[in-house]
Amino acid sequence: MSNHSDEDRLNLLKTSGSPKPSEAARRRALEAAMLAFDAEQEKVVRAPQGNPIIDRLRSIFASQKGKWIMDNRLAYGLGTAALALFLLPLGYQLYTSTAITPIKLPGVIPTTVATPEPELTAPADKTDSGGAASMDAPVVVENFANGIASMRAAKPAGEAGQLRDEEAAVGLAAPEAAPPMQSLAAIPAPADAMMAQPTEPSGDQFSTFTESPVKIVKNEPVSTFSIDVDTASYAYVRKTLTEGWVPEPDAVRIEELVNYFDYDYPAPTDASTPFKPNVSVYPTPWNARTQIVQIGIKGYVPAATEKKPSNLVFLIDTSGSMDEPDKLPLLKRAFALLVDRMGAEDTISIVAYAGSAGVVLEPTKGTDKARILSALDNLSAGGSTAGAEGIELAYRLAEQNKVKDGVNRVILATDGDFNVGIDDPEALKTFIKGKRDGGVFLSVLGFGQGNLGDDTMQALAQNGNGNASYIDSFKEAQKVLVADAGGTLETIAKDVKIQVEFNPAVVSEYRLIGYETRALNREDFNNDKVDAGEIGAGTTVTALYEITPVGSGAALNDALRYEQGGTAAATPVAANEIGYLKLRYKLPDGDTSRLVEEPISADLAVGDVAQASADSRFAAAVAAFGQKLRGSNYGDMSWDAIRALAQGARGPDQNGYRAEFVQLIDLARTLVPDSRG
Amino acid sequence: MTPELIDSGVLAAPVADETLIARAIGGDRRAFAELIERHYDFIFRTACKWCGKVSDAEDVAQEVCVKLASVLKSFDGRSAFTSWLYRVTLNAVRDMQRARSRRGRNADRYAEVAPDEYLPDQEDSAAAKELWQAVRRLPEQQRDAVLLIYAEGMSHAEAGGIMGCKEATVSWHVHEAKKTLRGLL
Repeated sequence: MSNHSDEDRLNLLKTSGSPKPSEAARRRALEAAMLAFDAEQEKVVRAPQGNPIIDRLRSIFASQKGKWIMDNRLAYGLGTAALALFLLPLGYQLYTSTAITPIKLPGVIPTTVATPEPELTAPADKTDSGGAASMDAPVVVENFANGIASMRAAKPAGEAGQLRDEEAAVGLAAPEAAPPMQSLAAIPAPADAMMAQPTEPSGDQFSTFTESPVKIVKNEPVSTFSIDVDTASYAYVRKTLTEGWVPEPDAVRIEELVNYFDYDYPAPTDASTPFKPNVSVYPTPWNARTQIVQIGIKGYVPAATEKKPSNLVFLIDTSGSMDEPDKLPLLKRAFALLVDRMGAEDTISIVAYAGSAGVVLEPTKGTDKARILSALDNLSAGGSTAGAEGIELAYRLAEQNKVKDGVNRVILATDGDFNVGIDDPEALKTFIKGKRDGGVFLSVLGFGQGNLGDDTMQALAQNGNGNASYIDSFKEAQKVLVADAGGTLETIAKDVKIQVEFNPAVVSEYRLIGYETRALNREDFNNDKVDAGEIGAGTTVTALYEITPVGSGAALNDALRYEQGGTAAATPVAANEIGYLKLRYKLPDGDTSRLVEEPISADLAVGDVAQASADSRFAAAVAAFGQKLRGSNYGDMSWDAIRALAQGARGPDQNGYRAEFVQLIDLARTLVPDSRG
Repeated sequence: MTPELIDSGVLAAPVADETLIARAIGGDRRAFAELIERHYDFIFRTACKWCGKVSDAEDVAQEVCVKLASVLKSFDGRSAFTSWLYRVTLNAVRDMQRARSRRGRNADRYAEVAPDEYLPDQEDSAAAKELWQAVRRLPEQQRDAVLLIYAEGMSHAEAGGIMGCKEATVSWHVHEAKKTLRGLL
């Protein structure tokens, strides 16, 4: 064969066939693989979810074993910061170039096989022993993911910058004499300050949004939005701050912070007009030249005798990741609270999904507490997250036991695993929407951190006429499921929309604080097909506008040089009206909306913040807190000033929520110090 | 308004590897089983070519299947799944052979002439048989390069992707292999 060329000779290799594997060997291999798979799942279940990197690092740096005295959080923070330095450019490239969109169901296929850059991972490269074969590969992958996470936190900074530029383009110059609503140039680049801080390194998913900008009344006199009764954002912010992190800006939804607290608005007296708006106007605490218009709504509180029968189906995530003290065990105690309130009229069923899937408790009378509680107690997290038909099953049970004129609701409790049996997020929304129209509503309770699909929670709850709450502690469970149970469970009006038309003769500019994710088009207001927020029994909803009165000198935009007084014909009749408030809602079983309207009189305005009610001052303090935490372009107040404002506005504060808020301000101050001293 | 319910219990229609992988990583047992089922033959065949012995190939294939349970999550979808699988398999082959060489040369020698040695098809020439044996005795990287390119018909770039080295390095290994083989054959 020496006369063959090397090449020809080697080509002989191609022609050989290969033998068939024996069936027995094949079966053996499969069985062994499945055993290993099950063992692996168990390991995954036990591994803490929160900080994979530290765990990895710890096991890699064997020398550090046994003397790991550093606080995890600190190390994690440092690690994240260091990683961010390395991975930011790469992370950014990824963020922009691949389809890692934050609004995706976690665990759904495309996100898991997202494709990063080439040379980073080397799967199964180091081969010292079989088991540890590719130990280093996952580390790289996870570091990478973290790079993306920090990138996500950093992204809004860019957007904020952009926004500033845009506004500058619209009209920069403020009258020399007066400070504008917020002097833009003087803002101490809040986003940069945030970056240096330990930003929440979680795998939690939030919808991104851009703060609503200042609008010119002449150009855009009408502002329309849907109410939002969710409070998840506040509980989440509280949890992250308490643990020593600054929440990512997109996790801070100001309207949810404000709405976390109860305000003492006068309540309507009967269910036929489920609520009435309360409006107050007072000077802005962070800018004496502008004013806050506060619109408050309180839902009708049914008398105890009117308590409606409830048909509740708990849909509980029992995937392995729920096996942490602040997840399933907390959930059990939380639901036990709710069960305690149930009576003979009520039925409760429990469906588990992921892990031990199926009906855990057939519909059971509320009086049979022992049975319900023991079923609840027997739930255990573990096993795979394979989707069963959890959600379908839950809705089927709810429909079978539907009570007319009662509360029919599926309560989904999860740490972010929405693998409930319908893989496609859109299909899931459609499904929930369809069921909502059939009269079964959905509430979502979020637990734990690290995997929380906040964006999905919000989307599902919104589509299901429900609310999304984040349960970070037993106290919060108590608030959501007992103190506010009426509001959480019993809807008194749905598709509640607010529209405010500002009077250009009185107001030159306005800005809606928060509600970015709830903005509606002007024409949506009168369109009953457009879905909007629901309001529960006794719930209060608050919306704040910052307005710039005409002639205050605080306008951000210059007057137009060529505009004539020619539009005078359209000048409104009432010169003492700031604007006109319209509110639309439907009764829970109604299809046509009703309209409530009233003018916002300039006479309502008080001259000094101190003259405003405690509720008003407190709401403003919460808004200022949220703006500062978000690194907003508006509302620059020192932490001290915010604290003083909140402290002085605590009111009776029966359950201590407001006092707790004051403590949160202190925490935030240490994490994000005032950059201007 | 009929949402697609995907029952993980029924994998009737052919599901893409990527889907199975994602599900398996998510903890879906059936998806993992299906994935292994689907690729067992590929793993076995590859192991067979590299080891040259059916019993060794079966051991390696089983080892790879077991390993997949833990390393599957490090598959990132950047390369084709089969390329990645090549790599895992070749690593397993190498692990086995290294372990064996530690156990002693004699056992190794014995193994080479064991009766279940994988022989190319009957009609294959004696030259081919001789060649296979020679190639399997090459240093690891030369052997991998030669087998990936000539037995598996890959380009030098593809082989580099699997071996974790540059295209030029692959070419160099092949060049070295040819030199070595000239001495052996």
